[in-house]
Amino acid sequence: MTNKDSSRNKIKTRLFWITIILITWEIMAKSGAFPEAIFPSLLDIARALGDSVVSGEILLQTGFSLVLILEGFLISLLAAILMSSLAVSNKVFNGLVDTLTAIAHPLPGIALLPLIIIWFGTGTLSIIVIIVHSVIWPMILNIMTGFRAISPVYKEAGLNFGLNHFRIIKDIMIPASLPYVLSGMRIGWARAWRALISAEMIFGAVGLKGGLGWYIFKQRVFMDTPGMFAGLFVIVLIGIIVEDYVFAAFEERTVKKWGMI
Amino acid sequence: MKVKVIVSILVFLFFGFTLAGCSTVGKVREEKLQIRIAEQYGLAYAPVQIMKEKKLIEKYLPEIEITWRQLGNTAAIREAMLAGELDVGFMAIPPFLIGWDKGMEWKIACGLSSSPVGLVVNKDNIKSIQDFTPEDRIALPQPGSVQHILLSLASEKLWGDPSRLDNLLVTLGHPDGMNALLAQREVSAHFTTPPYLFKELENPGMHQILDGREAMGEEFTFIVGVTTAELYQDQPKVYDAFLRALEEAVNFMDKNPVETVDILAEAYQIEQEELLKYLEHPDMAYSLEVKGVMKFADFMQKNDYIKREPANLEEVLWDRNDK
Amino acid sequence: MGNDLKDEEDNFRDRAVTIRLRSVSKYYQSSQATLRVLDNIDLDIYQGEILAILGPSGCGKTTLLRQIAGFDHRESGSLLMDGQEIVKPEVKRIMIFQDFNQLFPWKTVIQNVVYPLQVNSIGESDAANNEIALQYLKLVELSGFEDSYPHQLSGGMKQKAAMARALTLKPKVLLMDEPFGSLDALTRISLQNLLLKVWRETGVTIVFVTHDIQEAVILSDRIAVMGRGTVGIKKVIPNLLDRPRVVGVAGYAEIYGYVYSLMDINSER
Repeated sequence: MTNKDSSRNKIKTRLFWITIILITWEIMAKSGAFPEAIFPSLLDIARALGDSVVSGEILLQTGFSLVLILEGFLISLLAAILMSSLAVSNKVFNGLVDTLTAIAHPLPGIALLPLIIIWFGTGTLSIIVIIVHSVIWPMILNIMTGFRAISPVYKEAGLNFGLNHFRIIKDIMIPASLPYVLSGMRIGWARAWRALISAEMIFGAVGLKGGLGWYIFKQRVFMDTPGMFAGLFVIVLIGIIVEDYVFAAFEERTVKKWGMI
Repeated sequence: MKVKVIVSILVFLFFGFTLAGCSTVGKVREEKLQIRIAEQYGLAYAPVQIMKEKKLIEKYLPEIEITWRQLGNTAAIREAMLAGELDVGFMAIPPFLIGWDKGMEWKIACGLSSSPVGLVVNKDNIKSIQDFTPEDRIALPQPGSVQHILLSLASEKLWGDPSRLDNLLVTLGHPDGMNALLAQREVSAHFTTPPYLFKELENPGMHQILDGREAMGEEFTFIVGVTTAELYQDQPKVYDAFLRALEEAVNFMDKNPVETVDILAEAYQIEQEELLKYLEHPDMAYSLEVKGVMKFADFMQKNDYIKREPANLEEVLWDRNDK
Repeated sequence: MGNDLKDEEDNFRDRAVTIRLRSVSKYYQSSQATLRVLDNIDLDIYQGEILAILGPSGCGKTTLLRQIAGFDHRESGSLLMDGQEIVKPEVKRIMIFQDFNQLFPWKTVIQNVVYPLQVNSIGESDAANNEIALQYLKLVELSGFEDSYPHQLSGGMKQKAAMARALTLKPKVLLMDEPFGSLDALTRISLQNLLLKVWRETGVTIVFVTHDIQEAVILSDRIAVMGRGTVGIKKVIPNLLDRPRVVGVAGYAEIYGYVYSLMDINSER
């Protein structure tokens, strides 16, 4: 009950501040202090958004981005789990994963872009490579922290029941580190979005088929400022939906229900 | 509780309006003589570099304060001019027209250079733009760039359909575009300018299948100097000094090739010999004359890149003598 | 009195030995010195008995229990269960920990209890395993909480569920490491009684580590007293008080006093 109340309260507070921000925005847009190309009015933005939705353009490009990001995200999640599992199983591999993470984690994906273009070209593969790079290292770090934080009692109980190494990882370590996996997923998701949008803004699209970053970039080069804000609006919207409905719901159904956080 | 909410709203609004206020205050220009110019690298911008190194604006207006700003690309320059942070920017005609179409108060002050623009391919079997297959990819800086418009012009000429090749385009900055072309992966063509153009053609297996003039069907100015209405109307002395300085820079390059090469080699970090070769390319020319604006405008308006078309050149070109 | 007890210990001589420890030693190597945690421990554990291992904290009683469980490596000695060397944890010796959080929090109570059955493919079907699990939950008086998650249970209930989970695999030996140590006094008494009921009904051998003399006296058939440092097992005392036992029954004070005297409580501090 209290949970519902607090989430209703959260929505109320959000709506309240969003309204205030929008009103301020509109007043400033209408005040004429800025050229319209810098500070378009809400109506213009809404119209641009409406037009893009009606023409299907923004939906298509959002879909394009979402498909890429989901692919990259799932690949990273599975690879991170696999690598972390190998790392806890084998000392040599642990050293390798540790070193790789230390080297690669601080590297922003965008800094690797020129290399990625040479190695993987300019297609969707490159974007997925950048997303995977952005997601996999923080994910591994989180999962490894989670593995280390597991109470030894769980593992010993498992060993006592005759579990083999694989089942210890699958049945005990992964669920037991789920709060960490989840926070790794959150960080990963945010980083994946950033990577995707920046990559799309740099090598854009193949042909007319591009994602949201490309959409924003295109509005920029054609100086369609309301259109740019429409693109940003979609990004914010997706961010809120994923955080409040996907991650929060997942959390509600797992770690919160299990009393793990 | 209520008081807190009201206070936070007030604080929020205060910051909002302070921001708005700042920009209004910024608009009231001080009487000080000053000019803010976007600096760009590339051979097409050579006279700007000469003007800077030889301090030519200062020569005509000793008390002037010059700010040179480095910005990544045309879109950034356009945005900075829109925000009132720059007085002068150099760019190709199509991006200028897009800004003009969107109501930016700016016009072309002068031409700067004509430059080779070439479509380089890395496959022997591609002899003209007709030979692109759906698997080929053409890299160019961005949609709405002069390269994109030139490619559209060529497509229209050949097929009557300017967007025929749009599905093959990949947006890449010049250095990344060159890397992608030389990597011989899915990018099989790159529409670019010197020095990237020359460097690419030095590699085995690379050849050019289209150049700018061929696509345009006539000569055109590659880079133009664009200034804001503010500079032109409120600071006529500065505007005038700027144009004279640029003119002198162009003349200087013509008359002092040795010193020019010295200055540019230093500024662009290119070998002198190589630079000389580039400068002597027959298509590389510097002049304040402006060519091709109306053709670009006509084409871009017809194909929906811009919504309105200047009725005559004066609508987009500052008149030097109407002050 | 010491002699009486000595004679009584002989009563156990003819009982079957389930686990036999001979010269078991365990060291911890630090950079400075070698810390002997267990030094030449000899101990027999008889089938069906409740053996309490009693000692102050730091005496190595948990280390000893973990040795019997097979969790830790040992430096020397032999540790046999039914004539076979113990080298790893096995389902015939199940450990119950002091930590309330030994149930898997992501599984409900019944899922926790069913899990070892699934892992070892005990029942013919999931339904059969469920049936077994329900039976043991009933034994530990936890019926009605099958679908609760561990975090919704009290500490005592968690330990009950852990007992049910341990018993499903029908282990020969239950190793309990101060399982009631963190419970309040009343809950502890009720769980002690429950443990005795479970022991009577299943006949399982129980090795019970505790630092509570009263608990040791109430529960056990024999008490192995350990001292601080490397003294090892000072003495194994038979505890033949009649069951059911409560504090203060005839003979209680004597045995309590004897154990107390062995533990050097006053001289240690």
